[in-house]
Amino acid sequence: MLLPKFEYHEPTTLEEALHLLSELGGNAKVLAGGTDLLVRMKLNIDKPTHVISIARIPGLDAIVPRDKHGVTVGAGVSAAALSRHELMMDRFTPLALAAGRLGAPMIRNRATIGGNLVNGRPAADLSPACMVLNAKVKLKSATAEKEVSVNEFFRGPGDTAIEPNELMVSINVETPAPWSGGSYIKLGARKTLEISMVNVAALLTLKSADGPIADARIAFGAVAPTPVRAYGAEEFLVGKEPSDEVFQQAGEIGVGLCSPITDHRGTMEYRCMMIEVLTKRALKQALERAKSWKP
Amino acid sequence: MKSIIQLVVNGESVEIAVEPNRTLLQLLREDLGLTGTKHGCGLGDCGACTVILDGSPVNACLVLAVQARGRQVLTIEGLAENGNLHPIQKAFVDKGAIQCGFCTPGMILSAKALLDTNPKPSETEIRTAISGNLCRCTGYQKIVEAVQEAAEVIQSTEVS
Ligand SMILES: Cc1cc2nc3c(=O)[nH]c(=O)nc-3n(C[C@H](O)[C@H](O)[C@H](O)COP(=O)(O)OP(=O)(O)OC[C@H]3O[C@@H](n4cnc5c(N)ncnc54)[C@H](O)[C@@H]3O)c2cc1C
Ligand code: FES
Ligand code: FES
Repeated sequence: MLLPKFEYHEPTTLEEALHLLSELGGNAKVLAGGTDLLVRMKLNIDKPTHVISIARIPGLDAIVPRDKHGVTVGAGVSAAALSRHELMMDRFTPLALAAGRLGAPMIRNRATIGGNLVNGRPAADLSPACMVLNAKVKLKSATAEKEVSVNEFFRGPGDTAIEPNELMVSINVETPAPWSGGSYIKLGARKTLEISMVNVAALLTLKSADGPIADARIAFGAVAPTPVRAYGAEEFLVGKEPSDEVFQQAGEIGVGLCSPITDHRGTMEYRCMMIEVLTKRALKQALERAKSWKP
Repeated sequence: MKSIIQLVVNGESVEIAVEPNRTLLQLLREDLGLTGTKHGCGLGDCGACTVILDGSPVNACLVLAVQARGRQVLTIEGLAENGNLHPIQKAFVDKGAIQCGFCTPGMILSAKALLDTNPKPSETEIRTAISGNLCRCTGYQKIVEAVQEAAEVIQSTEVS
């Protein structure tokens, strides 16, 4: 498996990287962990004439808490770092759990959150997790900067809102309200190295430890051309007392919002059944964590 | 265009000119003759090419040689000391955890990265640590036992 020829750039500042991107645009590809790009280049799917590594730009690999209000995750933070980070596990649970399920240990050591989101794969692990956290991605070009909600970032398989001259710099997440708990469930045929057949992220916020549901967020991966939020199921849950029955009903509503396909990983019917079951299970796990929320 | 990079391989500083499209795996096997690191799938799926880069196991087939500039690389050749096998290597031999041997260098390096950070891993932790290393011969059981044995040996030699 040989890599085709390309010109290599290794900017050491953000400005330099943005300048290169604005100059080279469509002929260039950003290289983060390379676990997707290098595979696609070896398979001749991507054929950039320039490759811009962002690994030596300081700060892109940092997880920076913002007081108690939220966290800024650099686009170059690895899945391994996300999965091991105490604050991420504690407050941003779906993302830490999803990062721990991405690929195998060696892949997690290289794979970045930025690469995972920019890839825009329907089955990507970090996308649904970022969606239930209402994360915003910061996109920068040499001349402009914008923030886009991940809920509006994905357009189709491999297609996202980022422009060729833009770099994803960071992912910003607000800390979920008190009495929140999150979960992430990935279903594949094997335990590791598995692109999901169905994945579900959930975040549940209660009014108090035994209170009704104040807020619910559910997102699915691998069930439609993009990862999707199950807004209908979320609205159904708000204001209700949490119970197996309402979680079951939320799962049933969730199935109706998906358009899964049949492929070698699983049939449409099987995926629909799994969406229902896994939604219920994810909500139950989120509820347990919400009940044991600590200031 | 070639560029000259410097990196540390198995404790020795190496300076070498590489093309940007050369992988770390090619650099190790073809330029440095360190053929203990194996080339399997080339796509990140099998783990035969596992090396330890700055303390973390990675698939050398998915790392550019230029990305390793200034970094520390440990390959299977760097494990034995003064001709004595590393306890993990010895445990793999003793437990019969090697059949054809193609997965072995990668398995051992994944196990080493695990034991370096987690000296007393559970069976599940061991299985997770080697989950990116495929073995088509052994069925994994003996590999897991070898890592457990190595963990005990390393513990006992550190205590005494
Ligand atoms: C064996 C194997 C198993 C895998 N298993 C999983 C899995 O279980 N779940 C899963 O979700 N994925 C999986 N993947 C896919 C891949 O590892 C992830 O999507 C990973 O997060 C990609 O990140 P990266 O840093 O390696 O991206 P790269 O390969 O470096 O980049 C991916 C794409 O994003 C662009 N890009 C990267 N960073 C930026 C940025 N900051 N700004 C703008 N553009 C950027 C690149 O130009 C490229 O087009 C697997 C891959 C392999 C090889
Ligand atoms: S050769 Fe690198 S993972 Fe298979
Ligand atoms: S011993 Fe043959 S592949 Fe593992």
